[in-house]
Amino acid sequence: MTKTKNTALKHTGAFWMFVLPSLLLFTFFFMIPLFLSIWFSFTNYDGWKTMDFVGLKNYITALTNADFYKTLGRTLLYTICNLPFKVAIPLLLATLVTSKSLKCTTLVRTLVYIPVLFSALVAGITINWMFGQEYGLINFLLQGIGIQPLQWSLNPTLATIVISVASNWVSAGYYMLMYIGGIKNISPDLYEAASVDGASKVQAFFGITVPLLMPTTFIVLLLTTVSSLKEYALVQGISLGGPGTSTTYIVQYIYDQGFNQYKYGYASALGILVSLVFIIIAVVQFKATKGGEI
Amino acid sequence: MGESAKRTVSNVVVTLVGLLVAFLIIFPIIWLLFSSFKPSNELFAYPLHLFPQNPTAESYFGVVEDGIFVYFKNSLFLAVMGTIITVITSAMCGYALAIYRKELNYTNKVFAVFLLGTLIPGEILTIAQFTVVSEIGLYNNIWGCILPVVTTTTGIFMYRQHYMSIPLELAESARIDGANEALIFGKIMLPLGSAVTITLTIFSFMWRWNDYILPLMLLSDQKNFTIQIAVKSYIGTMGVDWNSILSASVLSIVPVIIIFIFLQKYITGGIAATGVKG
Repeated sequence: MTKTKNTALKHTGAFWMFVLPSLLLFTFFFMIPLFLSIWFSFTNYDGWKTMDFVGLKNYITALTNADFYKTLGRTLLYTICNLPFKVAIPLLLATLVTSKSLKCTTLVRTLVYIPVLFSALVAGITINWMFGQEYGLINFLLQGIGIQPLQWSLNPTLATIVISVASNWVSAGYYMLMYIGGIKNISPDLYEAASVDGASKVQAFFGITVPLLMPTTFIVLLLTTVSSLKEYALVQGISLGGPGTSTTYIVQYIYDQGFNQYKYGYASALGILVSLVFIIIAVVQFKATKGGEI
Repeated sequence: MGESAKRTVSNVVVTLVGLLVAFLIIFPIIWLLFSSFKPSNELFAYPLHLFPQNPTAESYFGVVEDGIFVYFKNSLFLAVMGTIITVITSAMCGYALAIYRKELNYTNKVFAVFLLGTLIPGEILTIAQFTVVSEIGLYNNIWGCILPVVTTTTGIFMYRQHYMSIPLELAESARIDGANEALIFGKIMLPLGSAVTITLTIFSFMWRWNDYILPLMLLSDQKNFTIQIAVKSYIGTMGVDWNSILSASVLSIVPVIIIFIFLQKYITGGIAATGVKG
């Protein structure tokens, strides 16, 4: 009896010893900042000396501020417009590279995946370089076929398109791999049977592949939603949020308010408000994947 | 047309489409690479050519003079130290959460605390992290960029999943043989988790190499810049120094490309199996 108790005690000690380094780091650099954010959001902290309690003032300012809504709306619009591409492109790529008819599969897969290695910043720069207004390759090619060069950095819509291209380019290979995993789980018998019944490849794609990949699609949707909502470094490599504020998304807006305008309190309140959106998404994901078991 | 002829046609068509798609996706990188060897009078003059007409490594010498190797060294330090800490702490934590799950009834509660980390993106907490890091005197210090990001729920989760699949009897029999808990972890269990260790090492290295926000906010002194911040420093409010930024960008991706070439199967396998995401 005493022996059992001793081992249990020993293992309690061992458990905490193993967990402690992670727990300490996590407490110090996640939990404390989280509570600090909440605390700052009720003050007029300027990152320096001033830190008076101001109650809900920051939240009221944020929720009555047109710029906040505009930025949030712009971020949501950017996210929603990109969703179809972020699902369709990787799905089509995965279908292509798992096709039995494709030779040199490894080469194609490897090349498609390489952009994923890029940092968001450098990915933005790489794509932006092709979309240069004056001596960019795309405008050069457009002129070659008799089209007027486009003002990629002066027109808000065109600037958003460049950012979207870069964002899809840098992430497609990653989600493609997730889809490949999903496709490999589909039984080949299903395609066999469809083929016997005279279904075409296209019919099999929409009738078998797409519906059976719904769980993967769901995860891809959630992951791309989160990453699009917090798009920041990529934009820094392309438009810096311009022209004007037409590509300034919510994370950049928070940093501008905090680090550039020294309104740490207000920026923290913005952060808490935006977190609510992320928390909802995370809870949905957690429930849907049964706690990450899938 | 016979069955086999039909198959040959479809093989050729699909393969051509595949190669075309791969080429289109890789083309921006080719364009970046060739552009980086063009002198500025070629970068900004029509007509454009794919291959540099007068290839020069001038801009590479320029960024080397600007101290790119110092930034490389800083990034390497950030990536290596960050990765070592991430792998060790995640392995210990994930292991404990899995192996003591039957004896201690609160392991899942501890795990739930770490899951909080996935609820709120780090980007939202940057300002408060910045304050904490400054308070402990790590402003403008590379350690200030390392410590806040080393705990990844993904890493802990990967190890936890892995060790849950290992029979508890293994630890039990080692205990009967007189091994203590630290020994069981270090000598028996850690080697059994080497697949996870390799995957997490590679991913962690790449995450840290590409880290952007904390280094940008925390490193004020140019000699402490990481490679990403050095690249960013060529983007000014008045315009972009394209000559330098092209070659600096190319150099910044060389290490991750090298890692990818050698360790490809772990990277692609890792995502397909666990959906690793930083």
